[in-house]
Amino acid sequence: MEQQSFAQDYAEIMREQSARGISRRAILRSALAMGVAPLALGAGRVFAETRPEVVLVNWGGLSVEVFQKAFADPFNAAGGNLVIDGSGPLNGKILTMVQSNAVTWDICDAGVTTIADLGPKGALEQIDYEIVDKSKVVDGFAYDLGVVNYFFSSVMAWDTSKIEGQPSPADFFDIEKIPGRRMIRKDSQAMLELALLADGVAPADLYPLDVERALAKFESIREHLLFWSSGAESQSLLRDGECVMGFLWSTRANMLKEETEGRIDYTFEKGLLQPGIWVVPKGNPAGKEAFHAIASMQSAAEQIILLEQMGNGPANPAGSDLVPEALKAVNPSDPANTAVQAKVSAEWYFENHTAVYQEFLDRIAS
Amino acid sequence: MRILANPMLRYWLLIAPALLAMAVFYFYPISHVLWMSVTLPEPGVSNFESLAASRSVQRMLWTTLRIAVLSTMISLILAYFVAYVISTVDERRRRLLFMGVVISLWISVLVRAFAWFALLRNDGLINQALIGMGLIDRPLPLMWNEFAVLVGMVHYMLPLAILPLYSGMQSIDPRLVAAARGLGASRMTAFWKIWFPLTLPGVFAASILVFIYSLGFYVTPALLGGGKKMMVAEYIKVQILEVVNWGLGSALATLLLIFVLVTLAIVSRVVDLRKVFGAG
Amino acid sequence: MSDTLRQEPTIVTKSLAWAVICYLVLPITVVVSVSLTDRPYLSLPSEGVSLQYYEKLFTSSEWLSSIWQSFVIATVSTAICGVLGTLAAIGCWRIGSGLANVVRMAMLIPLMLPSMIYALGAYQVWAGFGWVNTYTGIIIAHAMTGMPYVVITVSTSLAGLDPKLEQAARNLGATMGQSLRHVIIPNIRPGVISGLVFAFIHSWDELVIALFIAGRNVFTLPRRMWDGINEHLDPTMAAVATVLIFLTVILLAAEFFLRGKKR
Repeated sequence: MEQQSFAQDYAEIMREQSARGISRRAILRSALAMGVAPLALGAGRVFAETRPEVVLVNWGGLSVEVFQKAFADPFNAAGGNLVIDGSGPLNGKILTMVQSNAVTWDICDAGVTTIADLGPKGALEQIDYEIVDKSKVVDGFAYDLGVVNYFFSSVMAWDTSKIEGQPSPADFFDIEKIPGRRMIRKDSQAMLELALLADGVAPADLYPLDVERALAKFESIREHLLFWSSGAESQSLLRDGECVMGFLWSTRANMLKEETEGRIDYTFEKGLLQPGIWVVPKGNPAGKEAFHAIASMQSAAEQIILLEQMGNGPANPAGSDLVPEALKAVNPSDPANTAVQAKVSAEWYFENHTAVYQEFLDRIAS
Repeated sequence: MRILANPMLRYWLLIAPALLAMAVFYFYPISHVLWMSVTLPEPGVSNFESLAASRSVQRMLWTTLRIAVLSTMISLILAYFVAYVISTVDERRRRLLFMGVVISLWISVLVRAFAWFALLRNDGLINQALIGMGLIDRPLPLMWNEFAVLVGMVHYMLPLAILPLYSGMQSIDPRLVAAARGLGASRMTAFWKIWFPLTLPGVFAASILVFIYSLGFYVTPALLGGGKKMMVAEYIKVQILEVVNWGLGSALATLLLIFVLVTLAIVSRVVDLRKVFGAG
Repeated sequence: MSDTLRQEPTIVTKSLAWAVICYLVLPITVVVSVSLTDRPYLSLPSEGVSLQYYEKLFTSSEWLSSIWQSFVIATVSTAICGVLGTLAAIGCWRIGSGLANVVRMAMLIPLMLPSMIYALGAYQVWAGFGWVNTYTGIIIAHAMTGMPYVVITVSTSLAGLDPKLEQAARNLGATMGQSLRHVIIPNIRPGVISGLVFAFIHSWDELVIALFIAGRNVFTLPRRMWDGINEHLDPTMAAVATVLIFLTVILLAAEFFLRGKKR
């Protein structure tokens, strides 16, 4: 009797377990169908409830999808909760959040000028290099208030349907030789460097920048200039034939070359290599979790996805070994490309950017 | 309850919610801008000093003023013709013309800017058509310049000018002009001596309305000027969001605010402001 | 009668006036025709009209969500400024004294000041409230800037109403609520409706405030159109613009019809 009841009990437990197993599978299946599979996976679910949401803000457009696929999906599959917001982390917006103690962003896709403008105002967190791995950053690009995430270049692109052969950077300022409108960014950053390089300054002698000389170069063709503010805008202006040549980001130039099947071409020659930097606004809601997300995004394999999709060069030195042969030509930080470019000096920008940007706006872009 | 029995007090209770909401959610933010202009980066009038000292700010203000005056003048002249014709044609045509004005008044400013993009760009409809007809072989520079800004701005301002002009003309007794003609005045004399002076209050109201709106206009100049003809509203936005010079940005906003309010205060001695804005 | 007394304008004047009207409606015709293009870039239809860009629009979750968000924001902000503005206009009308005129004037200020000034202030203050990138933030800002439209149209309607009428109702024992509901509101309904329509269109079309306050959670239609114009000009934008024009015309027609019927 007793034994039987034990056996019965045992059988009952077995039945219950297998029944639970089935129902768990069923739940998992429906979760998969709803596209939330990573969250439903065992331990991940427990963590997702306790780990805070990390909001990463970038500049919108295609980069939202690509960041999602390259960075957020793997991080979330490992139990994190990273969301991508494409609304554009303008410096003024970051500062407003920090000063009103209402920070809703954790990680911002920024540049050296963000550190230059917001660092002195105390609006940025120190990067926690206990969590973020300095060895996964190319030497010299791990700053106190920001850490490189990818490399991009500012380069010259031109419309081959309107210009025969490859123009030299000096031709950018020669309206007689090549008539037509030129496009530059509505920002002094990189534009000053490209003007000086075109004017014959050697990359090694670039800094400290001769601001006056660079502004004078642009003033000489001011009537023929058109300005872009967002990467997508620069793409649209060249694509639609509003200008014959332009200074823009290599990532956008590369996309243009692909989509116009070579009608728009570009060169890294006399370009400027710059770091894309993660910064963390002071008092960010997710706290240290933001640095865990940054650490996760240091994966070389994930950074290669950005290179494939958008042309951003990997920041992790291990990444350069992983770059497929076919992508080397478009990689801004590929040795062959860095050899013909200058490198931005973050230190110069920390000291000078705010004043120089204002002067650029006053004299060139207003 | 006894207090509530006072009828006037009860009517103030009707006003109170709106007044309170406006005080907290409108006038407080505005005063915050004034506050920022004298406290950032440090207390004092340093921002206004740098406004006064900066030649580029002055150039930008001059551009703003020039474009505002130009678009006011062009809008007023064109609007006068339209208002005049609307007030004289028969009922059916009047309705048709009026409909065109009212609809264009309320069509989204972004929709219009988009339309100008489609028309004026290098590969826009106008250049496509001109090249297609063989009239030109390289596209005309219609976009990203002061011309484009004026085309877009006048388009936005015209209905705002037509409506007050029309409401002024409507109230003129037509027998006055007929009487002048009957007494032997020429067509031109009757117009300039009788009709035109009677429309002056309307002209004045329309000019003020258009001028004030042109001064602080953001969308159209920012889109069609391509960053080359920066006007004050765009300059303020760049200072706040991009350069992060809040002191200078809010000082400019304060300047704009004072200028608009002073202009309106002067104008209100001549015309009823409620009529100026009510007609729009 | 009076028409015959008016001086007939010359043919030059008349043609000029019609030309200006054509210039005014030109963007509408351009936008509508471009939206029907069969080619992949901004152009007029060449071989036939195509509805592909409408299909694109109505299957794009981004555009649809922005349209929906703008609709919700415009509806709620219109309701707020409709109620507050109407009550305030009635109060001012009934008091009629100097102070009430000052109050009424103050309520028109959002229409007089450039919206950039307000957007900048509201952005800073809202950030402190935690209202940036929220429905609340945009709705309140739109309700405040929509207030003048309601105050103006309701005040205009009230100007034609004799205060004695309301006094009579009160003397007959009506409470304030009753006199509002049964005497005043029915008489000024056309003004209220016009005010609501204008306030709705105002919110539906507002960009400058949205440039500061919109974000990931709230991305209004004008904000998305701004990005579209700057970054990706394609005929889908024309389809969006056509839908907007259509909606504006419907609203104006409704306003005209409802106001006209009462007259």
